[in-house]
Amino acid sequence: MAAKPTESSKDELLKGTLAMLILQTLTVQPMHGYAIAQHIERLSDGVLTVEQGSLYPALERLQQNGWVTSKWGESPTGRRARYYTITAAGRRQLGERVSSFERVLGAIERVMRPA
Amino acid sequence: MSLLDALRHRIRVRLRPRAYLRELDEELEFHLVLDAMQREHAARGAMSAGDARFAARRHFGNLTSTRARTRHMAGLGTFDALLADLRFALRTFRRTPGFTAAAVLTLALGVGANTAIFSAVHAMLLRPLPFHEPERLMKVSLTSPAAGPEPANDDRIWSYPKFAVFRDAQRVFSELALYTEWSFTVTGGDEPELAVGERAGAGYLRALGVRPVLGRNFLPEEDRHPGAPRIVLLGDALWKRRFGGDSAVLGRAMTIDGEPYTVVGVLPVGFRGLSGRAELWLPMMAQSAEALGEAWGHSYTLVARRAPGVSVERATEEVRRLGAVVWENYPHPEDPTAAPWGAVARPLDATRVDPRVRRSLLVLSGAVGLVLLIACANVANLFLVRAMGRRREIAVRLAVGAGRGRLVRQLVTESVALAALGGAAGLGVAWWGVKLLAALGPGGPMRTQQLSGLGAVTFAPIELDLAAFVFAAAVTLATGVAFGLVPALQSTRPSLNEALAEGGASPRRGGRVLSGRALLAAAEVALAAVLLAGSGLMLRSLERLTSVEPGFDAAGVLTMRLARPIGMARDSLPGFHDRVLERVAALPGVVGVALGDCPPVNGGCNGTVLARRDRPTPAPGAEPPVGVHWATPGWFSVLHVPLRRGRLFTSADRQGARKAVIVSESAARAFWPDEDPIGRPVSVGQGGFWDDTAYVVGVVGDVRFETVEAAPKPDVYLPLAQSPNARMMLFVRTAGGDPMAVAGAVRGVLRELAPESPVHDVKTMAARLADSTAATRFSAVLLTLFGVLALGLATVGTYGVIAYAAAQRTQEIGIRMALGAGRGDVARLVVRQGAAIALLGGGIGLAGALAATRVLRSLLYGVEPADPVTFTGLVALLALAVVAANWIPARRAARIDPAAALRAG
Repeated sequence: MAAKPTESSKDELLKGTLAMLILQTLTVQPMHGYAIAQHIERLSDGVLTVEQGSLYPALERLQQNGWVTSKWGESPTGRRARYYTITAAGRRQLGERVSSFERVLGAIERVMRPA
Repeated sequence: MSLLDALRHRIRVRLRPRAYLRELDEELEFHLVLDAMQREHAARGAMSAGDARFAARRHFGNLTSTRARTRHMAGLGTFDALLADLRFALRTFRRTPGFTAAAVLTLALGVGANTAIFSAVHAMLLRPLPFHEPERLMKVSLTSPAAGPEPANDDRIWSYPKFAVFRDAQRVFSELALYTEWSFTVTGGDEPELAVGERAGAGYLRALGVRPVLGRNFLPEEDRHPGAPRIVLLGDALWKRRFGGDSAVLGRAMTIDGEPYTVVGVLPVGFRGLSGRAELWLPMMAQSAEALGEAWGHSYTLVARRAPGVSVERATEEVRRLGAVVWENYPHPEDPTAAPWGAVARPLDATRVDPRVRRSLLVLSGAVGLVLLIACANVANLFLVRAMGRRREIAVRLAVGAGRGRLVRQLVTESVALAALGGAAGLGVAWWGVKLLAALGPGGPMRTQQLSGLGAVTFAPIELDLAAFVFAAAVTLATGVAFGLVPALQSTRPSLNEALAEGGASPRRGGRVLSGRALLAAAEVALAAVLLAGSGLMLRSLERLTSVEPGFDAAGVLTMRLARPIGMARDSLPGFHDRVLERVAALPGVVGVALGDCPPVNGGCNGTVLARRDRPTPAPGAEPPVGVHWATPGWFSVLHVPLRRGRLFTSADRQGARKAVIVSESAARAFWPDEDPIGRPVSVGQGGFWDDTAYVVGVVGDVRFETVEAAPKPDVYLPLAQSPNARMMLFVRTAGGDPMAVAGAVRGVLRELAPESPVHDVKTMAARLADSTAATRFSAVLLTLFGVLALGLATVGTYGVIAYAAAQRTQEIGIRMALGAGRGDVARLVVRQGAAIALLGGGIGLAGALAATRVLRSLLYGVEPADPVTFTGLVALLALAVVAANWIPARRAARIDPAAALRAG
């Protein structure tokens, strides 16, 4: 997530990709925001860092669309935390995003490494 | 499911925004705490808790912005801004109470008046008729061509034989029925009473889609032949009044007009028939074959429901065709060459209000709309002034980076909030206005005018209902945007440097905006001129109407109707009448008493034909029509109707004596243009005066029987004693004071003489006279109110513009005076602008008024739409208003102390 050609294209890319990463993360289990960020960073070996400034607006947007729901629960440290759960619609959405992402990725690869 | 989840989330956010924001803060805090713990842990003691917290905070980035962006994502951003704008607006209002009060009051008057008039329009013209699928209902009328002196009539009622032909031939209506309104005397309970009812065919309720709540409807088999069983359906009110709402009422007996009837059903609450007043329903067919068999005895209205799939056009076409069929079956009984009658169908909805009432309502709607426009112009002007004062504030905000859209939104929020306050206050005004409308009573008197009964169905409740609220809200919103948007756009126009540099309003700067404001003021004056012209014309009409000599003296006269005493033979009526007259005349405070059949100026009196016996009998249908009235000898003196020639009736004009008639001056002129009518033989087509020859014994002054505005027609009077008539009205002249004071005593006498015969319609003659001008008075009073309101608003608006301009020029005026200008020069300087506004607005207004008052023509009486008196008065009034608007600012300007003005600059 380093490319910064213009402001708007960066936003576009971020928004869509971040949503996909969050949805993918939540297929593992319900998690709170911090855990989601940690999970993404860990699995990408620190390549992908989730900006907190983007995470919570993105979660709100997913909720507005009905792709995730949230519930307050108790975290292992004993504090109240908001846990996010992916919905069935969220899973469908994830499927669509992944396939379109793979299509784009494949295309980019073909362009970058001509046979 | 996802839709539900999303919806649930969105609703929660909207409903409890504070809880949402609190939770968001808690969530972000949790994130920070966890991150700090993580960092502290990772540093293995090399980091304090505080440092870790700080690092987490730094890593997180801009917390406020994250919060804002999340909130924005949740859709709360705009909401927040709106709340802030509103709070800001309310603060502004509190800071400028004078401005706020002026604007709110102006808007309240505008919105309130509009809502009140809308309520009337809605009640009378818009609200659907309270029947099942009312759009399928039609009224079918017979039509007759012009014949001799009678004009063509396209809204005639039916006779049963003609209806039977029509009913059996038609294929376009699924239900159709005749009905007629009638008064019935109900006896057999504690108290005899006169109830309004309807005689109706069995299809009547089915056509309207009304079902009895108890018992049954009239049956089709009871509708085929005369002499059907005597059964009755009760209205809810009568059922509760006479039977205490007892559900065991079915099968009970009831005495109606002295005949026994059996109750078979009760109709729903609120249903009063198409007459709007009925409380009981009798079957058409519970009458004798003779009563129903007369093809030319027209007395019924025909209502029909279009069959499914039949268009209005097809029904209209079919009815036109059937009109010819009816004529073939029942051609003119005496004149084979007479032009044919026809039939016409029109939607029931279109017949519900008298065209005059419809027109006056539309005129009033237009007028009150103009008042609102003026109010908006005024408030827009106030806003422009204020925007000038806020130029610096706005410029600063623009300079530090506020978006123009954001500022416009802020300003419009302010104007809409102000409009909302005005609208809320306006509802109060409307509530009061609706009461006033009801008190001015279009329902009562306007209905007794020759309104079709349908007017009454929807006329009764003028109320502030949901529709009125929606209307008021829409008007409020529209005005808020209308008077807020233009000033907002104008004052945020980005010319920052100038505004900032000049440090507020300066004389030169004001120029452009000012001319816009002056134009607004001129428009107000023009609109006010149009309204004033309308109200002036209506007032002149009213003045003409009230100065009309109706031909009788209403002051001090009490009137009441007396139903026919049950079971009294026709022959004993004269004796009964004599006893009534004798006993009432003996009452203290009574100076004269008489009986007649019909009060003046109320319309609805009988008409017939008159033929001279000393001339060849004219062809049937060619006899001139006359109004016919029954009277006892004292009638003319009680009403102060002057005797012109011959004599009045005396007690000698009895049954068996030579028949006598009195004619009005108009009748004398019409029938005996160059002769003395006294002693001439005539026949009158009513009351048994056709076959026997009667002789004219006297000529009396003309009396306006129809309406005050209708010129008197030829009238003929028959002595009541020679032609007993059961429907009588008592006329009592009292010694002075309120005639109603003797009403109790008179009723007491009547109760004693005719215990079974109810007295009703007790009114002073003066009240009847007032009723007959009620429609004109109604329009005149309201239009005048609106006109005065408009003039007041326009004057204040003009004053505001001039005063503000003068205040802006204080410095300039100071310089001029320092250089030697006199006080008169300064005053002229100020007045010049006022004069320009007045000339421009007044000129346009006069031209507009000349064009607009033409729509009033049918509402006017004795006045032309371009009445010079009205327009002269209008110009004078406008001039006066302009002088008033100019006076104070000019004086103030002339008193400016040049030294002080220059120092202040």
